[in-house]
Amino acid sequence: MKKLIFFLLLSSFVFGKEYYIYIASESDDTVSLIMFDGKNATEIERIPVGVKFSEIEGPHGITIDPSGDYWYLSLAHGNPYGSLTKFSTKTNKAIARTELGIFPATMQISNLTGLLYCVNFKLHGLMTPSTVSVVDPNTMIEITKIETGIMPHGSRISSDGRHQYSVAMMSGELYEVDAVSLKVSRVLKLDEMHMNHGDEMHMNHENHMFHSKVQPTWVTPHPSEPKVYVTGNVSNEIIEVDTNEWKIIRRFKTAGKAPYNTDISSDGSHLVITLKGEGKTEIKNLKTGKSKIVNNTTKVSHGVIISPDNKFAFVSVEGIGGEPGKLDVIDLRKARLVSSVEVGKQAGGIALWKIEE
Amino acid sequence: MKNIILKTMLFLLAFTSTNLIAQDLFIKSDLEGLTMRLGDSFEPETYVENLNGEQFSCPYVYYYNKEGVYSRAESISYDRNNGEIKANAPGKHEVVAMCLGLQNDRLSRTFEVEVNYGKVSEITISLPQNNYVNTYLPINFEVVDEVGFKRDGQKLNLTSNSQILSIDGSNNVKALMPGTAKLTAELDGVSATVELTVIKNPLSSIELNSNLDVARTGDVVRYSAKGYDLKGNEIKNLPFKYTFYGKSFDVSESANGTMLNDGRFVAEEPGNYSISVNLGDVSASKPLRVVARDIQREVFRVGNTVVPDKRTSDFWIFEGVDGRDYAVTGTHSADGTAFFWDVTDPTNMKKIDSIKVDARTVNDVKVSQDGKIAIISREGASNRKNGIFILDVTNPYDVQVLSEYTKNLTGGVHNLFIDNDHAYVLGSGERYYVLNIEDPKNPLEVGVFGLGKEEQSIHDVWIEDGIAYSSNWKDGLYMVDVGNGIAGGSPSNPVAFSNYTYASGANHAAFPFKSKSTGTFYVVLCDEIFPNGVTLTEPELTAGFCHFVDFTDLDNPVEIAKFEVPGTGSHNLWIEDDVLYVAMYGGGVRVVDISGDLVGDLFRQDREIGYTMTGSPNGFIPNATMSWGAQVYKGYVFYSDMHSGLGVAKVSEQKPDTSNANQYIERAGIPD
Repeated sequence: MKKLIFFLLLSSFVFGKEYYIYIASESDDTVSLIMFDGKNATEIERIPVGVKFSEIEGPHGITIDPSGDYWYLSLAHGNPYGSLTKFSTKTNKAIARTELGIFPATMQISNLTGLLYCVNFKLHGLMTPSTVSVVDPNTMIEITKIETGIMPHGSRISSDGRHQYSVAMMSGELYEVDAVSLKVSRVLKLDEMHMNHGDEMHMNHENHMFHSKVQPTWVTPHPSEPKVYVTGNVSNEIIEVDTNEWKIIRRFKTAGKAPYNTDISSDGSHLVITLKGEGKTEIKNLKTGKSKIVNNTTKVSHGVIISPDNKFAFVSVEGIGGEPGKLDVIDLRKARLVSSVEVGKQAGGIALWKIEE
Repeated sequence: MKNIILKTMLFLLAFTSTNLIAQDLFIKSDLEGLTMRLGDSFEPETYVENLNGEQFSCPYVYYYNKEGVYSRAESISYDRNNGEIKANAPGKHEVVAMCLGLQNDRLSRTFEVEVNYGKVSEITISLPQNNYVNTYLPINFEVVDEVGFKRDGQKLNLTSNSQILSIDGSNNVKALMPGTAKLTAELDGVSATVELTVIKNPLSSIELNSNLDVARTGDVVRYSAKGYDLKGNEIKNLPFKYTFYGKSFDVSESANGTMLNDGRFVAEEPGNYSISVNLGDVSASKPLRVVARDIQREVFRVGNTVVPDKRTSDFWIFEGVDGRDYAVTGTHSADGTAFFWDVTDPTNMKKIDSIKVDARTVNDVKVSQDGKIAIISREGASNRKNGIFILDVTNPYDVQVLSEYTKNLTGGVHNLFIDNDHAYVLGSGERYYVLNIEDPKNPLEVGVFGLGKEEQSIHDVWIEDGIAYSSNWKDGLYMVDVGNGIAGGSPSNPVAFSNYTYASGANHAAFPFKSKSTGTFYVVLCDEIFPNGVTLTEPELTAGFCHFVDFTDLDNPVEIAKFEVPGTGSHNLWIEDDVLYVAMYGGGVRVVDISGDLVGDLFRQDREIGYTMTGSPNGFIPNATMSWGAQVYKGYVFYSDMHSGLGVAKVSEQKPDTSNANQYIERAGIPD
């Protein structure tokens, strides 16, 4: 009995926290609920989220309601519009669905307005400006669409909830939306321009001449400073933007090809970057500029979230073809992979639900 | 200066917000109890109040019209530019007022706003010139309000100055005796009056004829009536009414059928029927004996090549350049594999090659008419470029990739078709691109077809005789000239010339056919519906059916019949020699007699020849039938099943063996 009590106490001490993560698998129309106990990640439940058995709806973005009672999932494909579904975290059953734009992707809820902001990625078709859908998650009604750039992605909200940021992948722009007035407040060109004014005048959305050489795919606001970090997927760089001055203050190359998503530690000291083209994850110390690289367990690294205690990064990895997707867990202090678990094919959207002591 | 003002405002806002946090605040608005008139605009005043009655203004207010539990409506729209709401539809509507920026999280409240029609400005009454005694008058009313909105479904006050008309509580107006009368319709103080004449029924007798006295279930019997006066003179252009009565031979069944206004009748159950025609109190009847169609035949499975580890999608059977018969099958939610089969001997089909591409789903596969080129579609590519692969299948035992094509197809290709050196490829389900594949290593985009509107969604396309039949979900079927010449179109200049939509909005596949027995040109449009979504843990429920649309008049297509199997839904189809072969997902492959005229519910008319359940004990999900599509080839019915792979069946000349039936079955025979 004493041994058992000692073991339980030790277990409680060593494995005291349980992290619960939802991860969406885009080519299987499933979402997996994962529990990580500090050592092992386990798939607790695989939830079917598709609408038509014979078609792939493509679950892409996922986010958790601030109350923790619900999770929201964007389904990229529809007829032609994709949709947003609200699920209960108690039952993992769908509660409500609403139609958004073409290929709704990433999203977050503002803690200031309580509204959900989801970019309509419009990955395919004609390269024309797309929108950010604003949804009242209580009524699950899309209350407006705000036009932004071409292929908007990476919808992230500032820590005060006042602004929503996204990047337009093909037009190479950073968009700031006023979360309260529901209007675009500022736009920043991300490409390094080497041209005269006349050239720039011709590079607008109407003639579709401009194709960004940055092709940004993500933006992460700093938790406490007026900065955002933009991921240059094609330029292989992170672009640091001062949101007070609304200008680029720094560009730094990533440690590998095709950086895709990022997350920042709650103290703002580290940026974790998925290197989609490498199947790796980069842990960047923003103060020293030094990086550490962790190999992912399969190819095509996609999404990343850092636990609020800054101990772990949870990375979704897509895999290729028939390979399963993976959730890789990285110990940030040791810069080491500590666990990995198989999920459905093409794992992408990822969100941390809760941590239980 | 502007920046200073803005910063000051934001500071005040932040200050106010901080102080308001955790207070009980309520939205107040003059939307409460608001009644609007249709077409009117209104600028609401909305603010916030706490429990002490202190008022706060909202930095930003947003309004939207909520309909039901989870839908937004535009019955009342909101213009953010001028802050006004506008009443677009009559009725009681919920308007949500949201206050943003006053405190953490938003405040919102739902108000009921009533929208009334505008004042009636005009009522129009229309009815035929000749109205006969003892008939109900076919009257139409149109009510328009002062803003120009039509007011449908309004209950009008009808009155008449004459006893020759009777008006019941539902506003049915019956002519009782000859004479003239004024009929007045009134609503909200506005009225309209017409003067009408009721004439004595000129008929002394009606002669009712039909092309059949004994029919099978499903046979369309054509009735025609002639009316005669006392002198035996025929009176033409009379508004006859047809009705039927019947009694089934089987006491457990009802004598159902469909009677059309033009005198066509089709029965669903064997039994004795009586078809009647009347004008007022002059009528005629004719008996009709209906016997069982008796066309059921044994459909037996000839062969099956199970794909046990992957779900199978579409397939295509073709004659190779060597004269042997081959098949290509796709895979779904798997690893991007397409399989090739030698099916020369359908009882012994052999897997002979496979191609694996970077994808999760190869949904569609098609082969050129000359058997040399195959194209496979791609969804779920790791680089998200998707598109298609063009393959050399001149030697199906050694299939070679000729080219990969992704331009405009990055969102995934779900369906495609090959016709005369051109590929018609659905790009992202929004439009189809026409590729010239004369040089299959260098496909060249030469045309594109879309519906030209924001919400377009095309699911499938099928080409026949230079006409592309695209299935467009809620936009129904589009017929597009891509070389036929009927509308001056070509592959590089697709020209739409006919369209048909229907209520469910679930048009998934289409197949044109000209009836061999009647010459009527139909297009059969099949739904795809998953009423419960996807469960993974239970058999997937499907719904929907095949709609038979008569396209004799391309400008006025008429939906005339349907094939629906209760409890299961439709998917892909094939038609040959007036027989429909349709994959009904969990209901297997159904073989249906569609000869002769078609009217009404073909399944209930016992037109089904037979069926085969396509599951396999060795399937991806054992014994679970999930039929995807069917293709008739050299006398065999090939099919694919999502769980069991590729199979083949044969429709026998034999009637089904019912020797093991556990109950007594009697069917009325075909009359001599």
